[in-house]
Amino acid sequence: MPVEIPKDSWPGSVNTVTLGATGDQGGSRTSTVTIGGEQSLPFMHFENPTPHRPVIAMEVAAARPADWSAVLLEAWGSTLDDPAVWARACEDAGADLIVLQFGLKGSDDGPVSAEFAVEVVKEVMDSTGLPLVVLGPGQAEIDNSILVPIADATKGERIVLGLCEEGNYRTIVAAAMANDHLVLGKTPMDVNLAKQLNILMTDMGLPLDRIVMDPTTGALGYGIEYGYSVMERLRLAALQGDAMTQLPMLVTPGVETWKTKESKVGAGIPDEWGEWAERGVNWETLTAVALIEAGADVVVLRHPQSLVRVRAAIAELTASETA
Amino acid sequence: MSRYIATRAIRGANALVGEAEAMLEQALSEKGPDTPVAFPNTAYHLPVIFGMTGKEIAHLGELPEILVQARSLLHPTPSREHWTPYLGETLDSGMATLLAAETIEAIRYVYGLQPESMPGFELAGGTSFTSPDMNGGGNQPPNGHLNGAIDDIQLRSWGIQLVDGRMPGFAAIVGCASSNEAAVQIVRELQRRNILCFLSGNVNGHSIIDQLHEEGVELGYDTYTVPFGTDTISAIYALGFATRSALTFGGLKGGQPREILNYNKDRVFAFVLALGEVDDLKYSAAAGAINFGFPVIADTVIPQILPTGITTYEHVVSMPWNEIDGANDTEKAERLVQKCIEVRGVKVRVANVPVPVPYGSAFEGEVVRKADMRAEFGGRDSRCFEYLKMAKLDELTDGKIEVIGRGLSDVPDQGSMDMAILIEVAGRQMEQDFEPVLERQIHYFVNGASGIQHIGQRDITWIRLSTKAAEAGFDMEHFGKILHARFHSDFGAIVDKVQVTIITEPEEVEARLEEARAAYDFRNKRLADLTDTAVDEFYSCTLCQSFAPNHVCIVSPERLGLCGAYNWLDCKASFSINPTGPNQPIKLGRIIDPVRGYWEGTNAYARIGSHGVVEEVAMYSIMENPMTACGCFECIMMLIPEANGVMVVSREDTSMTPAGMTFSTLAGMAGGGIQTPGVMGVGKYYLISPKFISADGGFKRVVWMSSVLKDGMAEELKMVAEREGDAELIDRVADERSVTTVEELLPWLEENGHPALTMDPII
Repeated sequence: MPVEIPKDSWPGSVNTVTLGATGDQGGSRTSTVTIGGEQSLPFMHFENPTPHRPVIAMEVAAARPADWSAVLLEAWGSTLDDPAVWARACEDAGADLIVLQFGLKGSDDGPVSAEFAVEVVKEVMDSTGLPLVVLGPGQAEIDNSILVPIADATKGERIVLGLCEEGNYRTIVAAAMANDHLVLGKTPMDVNLAKQLNILMTDMGLPLDRIVMDPTTGALGYGIEYGYSVMERLRLAALQGDAMTQLPMLVTPGVETWKTKESKVGAGIPDEWGEWAERGVNWETLTAVALIEAGADVVVLRHPQSLVRVRAAIAELTASETA
Repeated sequence: MSRYIATRAIRGANALVGEAEAMLEQALSEKGPDTPVAFPNTAYHLPVIFGMTGKEIAHLGELPEILVQARSLLHPTPSREHWTPYLGETLDSGMATLLAAETIEAIRYVYGLQPESMPGFELAGGTSFTSPDMNGGGNQPPNGHLNGAIDDIQLRSWGIQLVDGRMPGFAAIVGCASSNEAAVQIVRELQRRNILCFLSGNVNGHSIIDQLHEEGVELGYDTYTVPFGTDTISAIYALGFATRSALTFGGLKGGQPREILNYNKDRVFAFVLALGEVDDLKYSAAAGAINFGFPVIADTVIPQILPTGITTYEHVVSMPWNEIDGANDTEKAERLVQKCIEVRGVKVRVANVPVPVPYGSAFEGEVVRKADMRAEFGGRDSRCFEYLKMAKLDELTDGKIEVIGRGLSDVPDQGSMDMAILIEVAGRQMEQDFEPVLERQIHYFVNGASGIQHIGQRDITWIRLSTKAAEAGFDMEHFGKILHARFHSDFGAIVDKVQVTIITEPEEVEARLEEARAAYDFRNKRLADLTDTAVDEFYSCTLCQSFAPNHVCIVSPERLGLCGAYNWLDCKASFSINPTGPNQPIKLGRIIDPVRGYWEGTNAYARIGSHGVVEEVAMYSIMENPMTACGCFECIMMLIPEANGVMVVSREDTSMTPAGMTFSTLAGMAGGGIQTPGVMGVGKYYLISPKFISADGGFKRVVWMSSVLKDGMAEELKMVAEREGDAELIDRVADERSVTTVEELLPWLEENGHPALTMDPII
């Protein structure tokens, strides 16, 4: 007996956003990444095809990370000492995007400075042709102090600048507008706060096709359902036609999962937890795939093996479309 | 619009366009049309011309068409006999002046006459020039000339700060101050507030640039004080800067004049400060600035243009220097700058709370015990009250903190002292109705200081100061500093000036207390008069949608938010402060049912706010389409069908209720944004509202309520009982002390003669 699959028809769609600019487009990237454009809930291909598959970004720390799990340190080895080498390794591993994450520290354990930040960005851009997301440590004033000079030094590259939050959105948006970049708006797991920030950013004149939002999420077992639910509601509102929610979403399962005990601790835990590295990769992969199913357009990962597994999962989810 | 100003601006524009034409003709014949024209180090060509016309002028030969356009904007001066509207003509003339002025400066650059030379002058940082003559060679600072146009590098650095608010605005100062001392003080006052100063113009050959130079004030990028030139024409660089701000940070393109002007009006908080005599050219340049939404403040007697229109507030304001109140130039300058800030609506930020103890919300809950106490105000042994009132802008000096009476050192250890905290605030967007909303914040603001404990409000305020805080140097004036800083940072959208008076002199405290009590009384009455029928909008509150996604509170004057934290006035103030925030006005529109409380506006909003989950909301009924709840309710109401009434359970009551459920069990039914007839979460003050479930019979339907409510609101409930015509009404309502089951409830109600038993069936 034939089964009729009920189909939803949505009035709205997610904005299409292109990250990075090639030489012809005023930048220096060898490729660009386009995300968004969804007209249906994720992978409802029988309603509408997935216009742009979710993409995988790998996180590169600007200075050797002091608090990363030993599993990650082992996986990346000495590449962690040089962000340019590391970014290149990510590209070779198959990443679509590089997320360059600045912390509070710069070179030689000193505080992060504008000069250091610009230099690292330039080195990374020299070593990889992938589009870039550049994130400050998430403290408004420090973010401003490094992101503005980075924006000035990389005019035209369509870098995604973040974090752009309630406390500093004016500065980041102005820097992006003056230099043809994009911004990543981040709000703490709340649909209305996400909408409000989007209203404020677009009110400054920043076009919607230059904004990506991070609605904030949690790791599996650490609030993922809360984050999932917020993303789901944002996407439903977007499809219903609410322009201020129609932004592609970037989420950071790598950051979230690698700070959980399961991923970070290898000793003094029950045997049934299994092998440490495998557990960490599983945690990251499962979190990322769940978030992709909630509507994530970009997932930011840390472990190279997770990249492979998430890539495979995306391929499976879109298999019927490419067959 | 002043005809005098219009006449002079139009006359000035005619003259300048003529001058530009003559200069251009000469330049074309001497240098030829292919001669390049440019301002140094900018990608925006001649920026005002580029912004306003979209023309990318690169050669002298392209300038004639600009002057044709300028001339087409000129008008004859207004007739003496016949009244005609001349605002448009004046603004056109202003624009013509700007096009002509920029043309003139461009020609001067061709001749090497810009930047203007000034022998012996050293710039403290400035635009660099490719010509070695201009740079003084090598790495020497650029000497012997003024700055001229601002380069793009500096534009980016300052422009972003203007856009994000780190720099509150810029002042285009034109002319010459009444004395060198006055010039210095005016600039100091502006610098102190982080306002950028652009200097140009002169009066009888003497410029403010000369004045500051003579007094040894360093001028240049490094000191945020840029000397453009000693004539009025060089003021065009200020508008070139403004135009480029819009192009760079507003995503705008050349040839979008309307958008560029609006951008500046809305986002670049600049003003013109005209010092000394205002001649025709200054009037016409000022008219040009008004196009950008930049008002003009003059320190001489000139006609004023006070109505709002092109600028956000007044257009032209006269504040003659010799009439400004003030003991010395510093005080006069402060007043003048305050006036400028006020006229332009510049928002000044106060970054930190300047107190000698740690400050932050983490200290809000701190308790100061008697043993650790240095002094207390209020409580058992002294009186303390706080009173915030609105004043007119020109009545206050922002940041003024006055202590009247004894200081902390006069109080013995662990002693007490009378204190009155009087706060006066003024602001363009301030309303008298916001007074209590702001006054309630004092509690949080004062508590934020480590070592200070604040309890109560109004005339039951009780403040304790710890020995540690006193040892760190905390004194009476610091209460004022906290309040000044916090009101600016948290309520800057409605508050422009804050002045605080701390009174410890007992007789004065007594006198002021009378005034404050009259105000408290007035506010209470105002709240009582503030009824749902007296307003045409309610407010939404979506603050809780983060965890109850489809719940929306509709807050009316007679029904506060169910959390008890937001009443209608709070929502109104919140909307003024944060127009994109969680409290939005709901226009009521047509009333559908005044009894149950349906309006077209409230129903429409309920649908949108609940994302289609709730179709209609009855404001005054628990039985039909009751308002949904998040989970923050102070009380839960539930129908008791057997008693033909409702019960009200307080959040603080953990005991069993006649519904057979405790508060926490009931909360699961009442919350989550679900509409359940017969169950509702409410704020406890809704109980005393005349609109309390008025469609269902009002307060007489309450058959049971938690004793904590009865005790805590005894006074208010007494008034409700009187309003309902039964002084004993509250005693007829059961509570958990007498009844915990529905079986016990009915006989109890009968015994006590509860009116609900004889009312119409509630179902």
